[in-house]
Amino acid sequence: MTAPAPIVGVVGGGPWGLSLARAVRRAKQSEVLLHTRRHADDSQPGIDIVRDFAPLAETPLIILAVPSPAVRSVARELGDHLSGRHMVVHGIRGLSGDDLRTVSQILREETPVRRLGALGGPVQAPELHSGRASAMIVGSAFADVTATVVATLEGPWLQVKSTDDLVGLEWASALMGCLSVGLGYAQVRDDVSPGLLAALVSGAVDEAVAIAKVAGAEASTLYGLGGYGDLLASMALHDRPEVVVGRALARGASLEEAQKEAELRVEAVELIPRVARFAQLQGVASGFFAALADILTRQTSPEAALARLFGMRGR
Amino acid sequence: MANTRAAPIFRFNDQRASLVRKTVDRVCEVTGDPLLALNDAAYHETRRLDGSKRPREQERLESWKSLARRLSRMTQGERELALRELAHEYAEDIAGNFDPRVFSFSTRLVPTLVTGLLNPSSLARSISDPASLFSIGSLRDKVRVEGDIAQLQRLAEIGTLVFVPTHSSNLDSIVFGFALEASGLPPATYGAGKNLFTNPILSFFMHNLGAYRVDRRLGHRVYKDCLKTYSTVLIENGFHSLFFPGGTRSRSGMVEQHLKLGLVGTGIEAYTRTLVAGQERKVFFVPSTINYLITLEAETLIADFLEAAGKARYIIVDDESSRVARVAAFMRKLLSMAGSVVIRFGRPLDPFGCAVDEDGVSHDKRGRPVDTSSYVRNVHGDVALDAARNNQYTRELGVEIADSYRKETVVMSTNVVAAAAFELLRQATGSRDLFSLLRVRDEVVDRDTLAREVLRIRDQLVDLEKSGGVRLHEGLHQISGGDMVAQAMRAFSGYHTTPVIQPRADGVALRDPKLLFYYQNRLVAHGLGYDPDRARRAS
Repeated sequence: MTAPAPIVGVVGGGPWGLSLARAVRRAKQSEVLLHTRRHADDSQPGIDIVRDFAPLAETPLIILAVPSPAVRSVARELGDHLSGRHMVVHGIRGLSGDDLRTVSQILREETPVRRLGALGGPVQAPELHSGRASAMIVGSAFADVTATVVATLEGPWLQVKSTDDLVGLEWASALMGCLSVGLGYAQVRDDVSPGLLAALVSGAVDEAVAIAKVAGAEASTLYGLGGYGDLLASMALHDRPEVVVGRALARGASLEEAQKEAELRVEAVELIPRVARFAQLQGVASGFFAALADILTRQTSPEAALARLFGMRGR
Repeated sequence: MANTRAAPIFRFNDQRASLVRKTVDRVCEVTGDPLLALNDAAYHETRRLDGSKRPREQERLESWKSLARRLSRMTQGERELALRELAHEYAEDIAGNFDPRVFSFSTRLVPTLVTGLLNPSSLARSISDPASLFSIGSLRDKVRVEGDIAQLQRLAEIGTLVFVPTHSSNLDSIVFGFALEASGLPPATYGAGKNLFTNPILSFFMHNLGAYRVDRRLGHRVYKDCLKTYSTVLIENGFHSLFFPGGTRSRSGMVEQHLKLGLVGTGIEAYTRTLVAGQERKVFFVPSTINYLITLEAETLIADFLEAAGKARYIIVDDESSRVARVAAFMRKLLSMAGSVVIRFGRPLDPFGCAVDEDGVSHDKRGRPVDTSSYVRNVHGDVALDAARNNQYTRELGVEIADSYRKETVVMSTNVVAAAAFELLRQATGSRDLFSLLRVRDEVVDRDTLAREVLRIRDQLVDLEKSGGVRLHEGLHQISGGDMVAQAMRAFSGYHTTPVIQPRADGVALRDPKLLFYYQNRLVAHGLGYDPDRARRAS
């Protein structure tokens, strides 16, 4: 006889949190407690809405899906109800502060939980929401965390890979989000051929790997599903928010207009300049991220930006 | 003050046979396939002993070869028996001894005699006051012990203490043992390299003060399992323990940041096993730093570090600690200077790296009390032994211990002056390459410039100390740069074979860049001083 699927907690009532809650429910019919402060009634069969964190004490696995600026305050409040028995896995692409702290570092500082993990990879909220076949990756240094997440989320429509390189996956998710902005930017330019685009992508990923390694990431994680895989999916995902922002900027939209067009919050917009600064301080080459930062602040023309991305002078 | 004579180690000899038996039983229980384990042992031992000219080792080699030939024909029962015999042999070899009479002798009489022999005026005082012969007070002003002793005394009564100090000298275990005694803390059992048992000075104490033997030449699974299991069983049974997580003495002089965590992990397993048995016994790790004004083996250690760019000899058997005259000279030097050794007990941690309060309650980084047993419960709430999970907790504990090492390092005048002098050497040569700097001989630097550089580094350390990042030896906060140079010069002179720095008419001569490098390395983990890795990256 198999043990009943444990109750799963999901924190975050945005599209991403709601999609994750639905994915959990769909995979193993697990009971889900969805913590949201939104007023919309997202309850569905098997997904109960809760307004405070106390009921989550009964859920051994909690998935966190809140915007990165809210992570610390949410974690602090949530931490009052958790213990070392809990597993907390987040699906947040951000890195916090100028020292680029990962979300798992913040969770470690704000909660008693130690069995931490992250979700990453190419899967997007609409795929999770509708049950369209896709893939994701879970990262944790704790094997029981990755095993529990795989058992909770994997199904015929969702492949869940795992890695023990949590730091690598968090950095991969954050940096690929940034590079997706650049990808969207280059995609709509007539002067960027497929060959140049391929050169742009591979060069940018190499740069991301060098930066993430300084923080302790393993290169293989960035070259895997959580890194390259994520970025490859962006090439086909025209409605991915980061890609939308990049495309809008390339067409000459202001940053504000581009973000409005994306409809969802894009963590990469705030992260790109901080990554460029971090890389500079660490003495790591960061031409792509510096160029992206210039694009965001419109300190450079699209032509000059592309020339800089490709390391060319006046084409 | 706690009654240290009630400590479990005073009952060690009564329990020794039981500890060995438990070790053997558990090693046999966790070894999946005796055939693989014995094959692995035979392979490693045959390779190690091959070519040895020693009759005993040749005999041993033949015995291993014979076992390797027979293994495939043996029945499962015969293999299990062979494994049990091997595990028993190793467990017996590892298990130490504890003689309360030697303990009493060493802690009461030896410090006074050592002090007296090396400092005759003190011996004369002792003779006129016989009671002082049985006091450890004579070393007290030389060896300072700092930290929250009262908390540790309390924790020793409610759980098992595992001391995890920094390691820079073969004298560490003796000095640390003295610190425990002087603080009213119970003695701890500890794993000492088997090579130390051949050291004429140390072996007497090692044999009889609760040390168990670690044979670093044996690298196969069965031996490692025996060693770790013995340590686990000791902690489970309440024996306070001492490990050096650096694994070996710091060759470079740097505060250890990359720790070997094999034995540290036994604390978590021991704690989990007490929970599984329904008899929770808390385990408290005590990161500590041992800080010397000068280091007995500095010359050998730094030479070893530099040799072949870090291809260090793991076991050094012929350093200063094996030479009676050098030890005597070193002790004479140390005893002539107050506070020349400082031992700092850091904040205790539970096996999961959480800070522990005076009642043994763990707290997360926000200060919330935490039920430590929750860390080893599975999703169903049951306590479970899980080696992979415990390994990760051990890695995280290692990070906390390394962090504590940085914070609890007590910076001495010799470290600051060496860092200043090395920086001036670097400026004078215009080189960042370590080996170019080490080749420079007798560079003379201006006395005032050196004093200014000393103050610049001291001020950085004071700022770091304010944020809890390090500790400065008492007296360094107010002292002038020139006085600190003079203090360090006094400490260096008369012990090392080459004077490290020496006064000259036109300034201060930097006589031994290797030793300057060694002593300044103590600051590298704090982002100060010359960091060879950073220099390499920058170039």
